[in-house]
Amino acid sequence: MPRLTTSARQLDTIDRGAPMLQIDGLTKRYGATSVLDGFAMSVAAGEVVSLLGANGSGKSTSLRCVVGLSRPDGGTITVDGVPAVDGRPIPDVAMVFQRIHLVPRRSVIDNVCAGALGRLDLARSWSTLGFPAELREEAMACLHRVGLADRATEKAGRLSGGQQQRVAVARALCQRAKVLLADEPVSALDPAAAEQVMRLLRSLADEDGIAVAAVLHQPDLARRHSDRMIGLMHGRSAFDLPAGAVDDATIEALYRPDAEAER
Amino acid sequence: MTLAPLREPSTPERRTAPRRVSQRTLAIGGTVAAGLLAVHWYAWTQTEFSLTALAEGWQGIWHFLFGRDQTYPNGHHVTTEGAFPIDTSWGETIRPGIGYCLLTVCIGLMGTTLSIPASLVFAVLGSRTTNRFPPLFWLARAVMSVLRAVPETVYALMFIAAVGFGAFPGVIALAIHNVAVMGKLWSEAMDEADQGPVEALRSAGASSYQTAVHAVLPTVMPSLLGLLLYRFDTNVRSSVILGTVGAGGIGFYIKQSVSGFRFDTMMTYVCQVVVLVILIDLLSVWLRKRLALT
Ligand SMILES: Nc1ncnc2c1ncn2[C@@H]1O[C@H](COP(=O)(O)OP(=O)(O)O)[C@@H](O)[C@H]1O
Ligand SMILES: [Mg+2]
Repeated sequence: MPRLTTSARQLDTIDRGAPMLQIDGLTKRYGATSVLDGFAMSVAAGEVVSLLGANGSGKSTSLRCVVGLSRPDGGTITVDGVPAVDGRPIPDVAMVFQRIHLVPRRSVIDNVCAGALGRLDLARSWSTLGFPAELREEAMACLHRVGLADRATEKAGRLSGGQQQRVAVARALCQRAKVLLADEPVSALDPAAAEQVMRLLRSLADEDGIAVAAVLHQPDLARRHSDRMIGLMHGRSAFDLPAGAVDDATIEALYRPDAEAER
Repeated sequence: MTLAPLREPSTPERRTAPRRVSQRTLAIGGTVAAGLLAVHWYAWTQTEFSLTALAEGWQGIWHFLFGRDQTYPNGHHVTTEGAFPIDTSWGETIRPGIGYCLLTVCIGLMGTTLSIPASLVFAVLGSRTTNRFPPLFWLARAVMSVLRAVPETVYALMFIAAVGFGAFPGVIALAIHNVAVMGKLWSEAMDEADQGPVEALRSAGASSYQTAVHAVLPTVMPSLLGLLLYRFDTNVRSSVILGTVGAGGIGFYIKQSVSGFRFDTMMTYVCQVVVLVILIDLLSVWLRKRLALT
């Protein structure tokens, strides 16, 4: 599993300049309401970008468009230089969710293996019994990466929220994602677990060169763990700044209630 | 301390509570009540519901309960054995009755088990969660509706006509009907399953089959097993009825004793059916409780 181990040489090979994920002019309407209105952002390999914005500003929708769970009405999505086909998942992009979405009755390792389904044919995925031995080894390496290798055989539902979110990250690693999208990954977690998950996301960027975009509701977590912060308002980015350059007034303006009413 | 009104700047203030029942609700309620009354009046006239007929039939009920001897003018003699006292002969009625009950359970069991694979296929095709291809989805739903609209008894009569009396046509009849019913129940369970894991796997590039096997089925498995037990319970009861039209088991012998005016034997079999149904019910409740715990 060379991708998951860190070496000085590997750090050098991470190209931090070119965007791994590039979104331009994304639009999406539900009936009469425009949810995304020309949203644009980019995330480079090894970079952590946090998305902030009031409820309903379009954060989830933009991420869901990238992984093919929603179909955008317009705009382009490019991953590692390859344009995405509307409404189709991209093998290089994985997503983790606020509600985590593991299968609670399945073992932790089976949940992680499921990340690889996109590249398994029917003979190797007709049941968990079909998962090849190499995949189970790879899943163990991913679990090791998130610090949960010792819980592999337990039912996923028995783990704490923070541990389950780390299993979901391991599932994304098992997908061999180059881009990790996280929709409020820590909103349901206590502060300690949230900190642990954010450190994990940070280290995936630093050590494995993964491009990470995370929706966060805590400006202070965002400042500490991300390189760049993007504020969404009415379906487009209101600011896109280095994390250090975002002051309290900027955040305050983003969440002001009448900002929504003014539309 | 007073509560400061929390409101959006643009919304006008409103202090009075809305009416409990609106005019509209009253109008709709009145119309529905009148409609129901009319339907029931029509049904009453059509079914020739008559308390006098019931009262005048007391003699027939008496003969059914306690029997009678009839000698026709031509010397022909007919004995009707009343339901009470029930037939208690061990070798002739009770012991064979237990055997017929077992056969009835076997018919219900086989009908249920044989329908599992097809039910699963129909359930997966007939659920929005697992089938994202509308034409196939509607086809599966339509086939299930049609199969379900034909009662088990009618299937049994068809297969008896084809292969003759016995347990086998009963099994086939139950299996076909159960595919449609259990397929529908299972697909509804899948519809209600948490969509989260499905979306997670879909975003990872999993196919519909893969999401069904790796997200939906493990999530809904306890519900599916519970519904399976419920259908087994129901199918054993149905298999008693199928017996009365000639598809084997205790129902067949209930029908035979009625035809032979042996209401005492019939009542013994009926008692055995009651015990059987209660036992199966207890078993399925117990098993479902165990399932809920795991
Ligand atoms: N499937 C849908 N149908 C209709 N409206 C939707 C749907 N999904 C999201 N929306 C609407 O789109 C807007 C943006 O939603 P979302 O992207 O979830 O916001 P955020 O994640 O920033 O809170 C909301 O107003 C929401 O009601
Ligand atoms: Mg959201």
